[in-house]
Amino acid sequence: MPSDPKPLNGDQAAVQQRFLSLFLRSEREVFRYVAALVPSVADAEDIVQQTALALWEKFDAYDPAQPFTPWACRFALNKARQWIERRQRWQALLAGGLAEELARRREELRPEVERRLAHLEKCVDKLPGEQRALVEGYYYRRTGIEALARESKRTVEATYKMLQRVRHALQRCVENAAQLEEATP
Amino acid sequence: MNLRFPSPEFDDAVAAVCHGLASDEQMQSLNELLRTSSAAQDAYLFRVELHSRLASETDLFATTACALSVEEPRPLTPILSSGGGEGERQLPNVLSLPNRRRRMAWAVALAACFVVLAAGFALWLTRPAAKGTTSTAVAMLTRAVDARWGQNTGLVRVGSALGPGWLRLESGLAQVVFYSGARLVIEGPTELRLVSTSEAICPTGRVLAEVPQPARGFRLKTDHLNVLDLGTAFGVDATHDRTEVHVFQGKVELLSGTAAKQSLGEGQAAVSQGNAPPRLMAASAVAFTPLFDFQQRSLVSEAFRYEQWQFANAQLNQDPSLVVHWDFENLSGSDWTLRNAAEKNRSVPEATIVGCQRAEGRWREKQALEFHSVNDRVRLTVPGEFEALTLSAWVCVKGLDRQFNSLFMCDGFEPGTIHWLIRNDGVLGLTVFGPKAGNLQITATPPVLTLDKLGMWLHLAVVLDGKARQVVHYVNGAPVAREALKVAPPYRLGPTELGNWNAKSGPNLDTKLIRNLSGALDEFELFSRAFNDAEIHDLYVKGRPD
Repeated sequence: MPSDPKPLNGDQAAVQQRFLSLFLRSEREVFRYVAALVPSVADAEDIVQQTALALWEKFDAYDPAQPFTPWACRFALNKARQWIERRQRWQALLAGGLAEELARRREELRPEVERRLAHLEKCVDKLPGEQRALVEGYYYRRTGIEALARESKRTVEATYKMLQRVRHALQRCVENAAQLEEATP
Repeated sequence: MNLRFPSPEFDDAVAAVCHGLASDEQMQSLNELLRTSSAAQDAYLFRVELHSRLASETDLFATTACALSVEEPRPLTPILSSGGGEGERQLPNVLSLPNRRRRMAWAVALAACFVVLAAGFALWLTRPAAKGTTSTAVAMLTRAVDARWGQNTGLVRVGSALGPGWLRLESGLAQVVFYSGARLVIEGPTELRLVSTSEAICPTGRVLAEVPQPARGFRLKTDHLNVLDLGTAFGVDATHDRTEVHVFQGKVELLSGTAAKQSLGEGQAAVSQGNAPPRLMAASAVAFTPLFDFQQRSLVSEAFRYEQWQFANAQLNQDPSLVVHWDFENLSGSDWTLRNAAEKNRSVPEATIVGCQRAEGRWREKQALEFHSVNDRVRLTVPGEFEALTLSAWVCVKGLDRQFNSLFMCDGFEPGTIHWLIRNDGVLGLTVFGPKAGNLQITATPPVLTLDKLGMWLHLAVVLDGKARQVVHYVNGAPVAREALKVAPPYRLGPTELGNWNAKSGPNLDTKLIRNLSGALDEFELFSRAFNDAEIHDLYVKGRPD
């Protein structure tokens, strides 16, 4: 008697699960690593996706004794390079070894970045309603900028500008909070 | 534009980069500024980090996340729905990521990737990782558009591995890839029973089958006919009392209960009704148009080919006779060395790229190296002496600008060396230099690189066989010239160039001595043995773009 098609079982499924589990835990970190080079969110996501395919393909070469994220970031750097090479505009931004320099400097700044961004959640909470709705729409719900502009009855340009201002406010907020923390014994 | 820091222009440029809207000018001036000012660099990194944190840290919007998670489907589950191992238990945690769109793309991409893995196993049975796969799955669902599945069909989603059993598609389109490599597109309403990795039964419905070489022998049965595929593309339109088979490419064999075995060639079709023997007619693609379109649009299938090629290479790189293999993967703008992917023979660790542009290869994701100016070349040195050589390259020739356009040419005219080139009249040539000066043999094909072949990816190969004393040229896996070889081994390569030539005679004043290629290369292999026709054909199949 033929049965219904069954989802894949056995060893291969277990390997897929192990991979996905590891990858999904590293995904945000890999994304941010890529975004330091290619900050545009959709593009960075593209690169992360290509990285995932490459990682899966080479997964049998992964040594489980080593941490997964740095291994994944090496692939991400490669994929980012490939991606950038095909886009002149981005090449212009990252030419002259700037990509490597940014990746290196980012690593050096990491403790300070973490110290400041630890306050980000608090700062997001403190945003006035409309501003909060905008960052939430853009970053969390990934609503398109045209739709956000319509919702807030602004032009697309004004909406981008407003996003920029909200980020600026958040930046000041986390910097102040970090400074305050430092000043408090 | 001259950017300063701090300035409102700097703020705008950083914001534009984050939004993916920066102009060329902004990009360029940011680059200049960031390379010279460390304060600007740090400010840039902080801002970008804040932006990427907002885009990735869903906890920041924690209250909303809870409210949304109720309606949010979990598109990754099809891949993970089996088992219940450790990985899965941890998943709810990480699945709190936002963005449905992104995760759907994931599921599709990873699913395609997993299929490739399976197909890779089937094609290259010796790949070590294949050991221990105990799955009963025979196929995978790789794509679906507006698919509505019958109630008796279990949970199937894109990425589901499918065991033997019934698939009932009520409406929409779906693509099923069998682990043998056969690909079926089905259009609802269709009932399909998966039997094994190379057999399916379709009592009713419309199916378009594409069966690549390794999956030859794939069988599709209807109530009236048994279609045995001989490496083709064909369509089947079946109802309980009538079956039509249309062959679009290659050949199939038909077996029906009443008539003798019958073979159907390209452009032919047969209709079988009741107990009457199949009646012949001309194939018509009209009824299968939506299925063809679906197949064509399939980006996943392109990624599939590319991944399949990568898997095939993993196998090929183990060949001890492989001296050089450039896959042109992982090329980077700042890196001028070309890594040799051959794993068993390390006599040529790497080569040097001089000039050349990065370009797109056979597939969207595949990189290539484009040769255009008289300086563009890849230089390498191959030590040792050889009894035989096989050269293989994927080339997209843009124009035959020079009298001799180099593919792979040893420096100068040294004894025992070779020049592989394309003449401006489209003739492929291999020149073999004998032991004494002036002693050489030119082996040439008829003009095969005709105008219509320019701008297309072509597989070119040549075999220099010192033992059988012959030279054979190939285009797209088929021999185009076979010539007796007078120059005896050993053959040498030494300092050599891909896509150009070093005449070793001072400045190249004579235009005949300028032999740069105009075109792109995205794969090159050099073997230290003579390949036979079948092996060259396999090389071609391995790299064929579609």
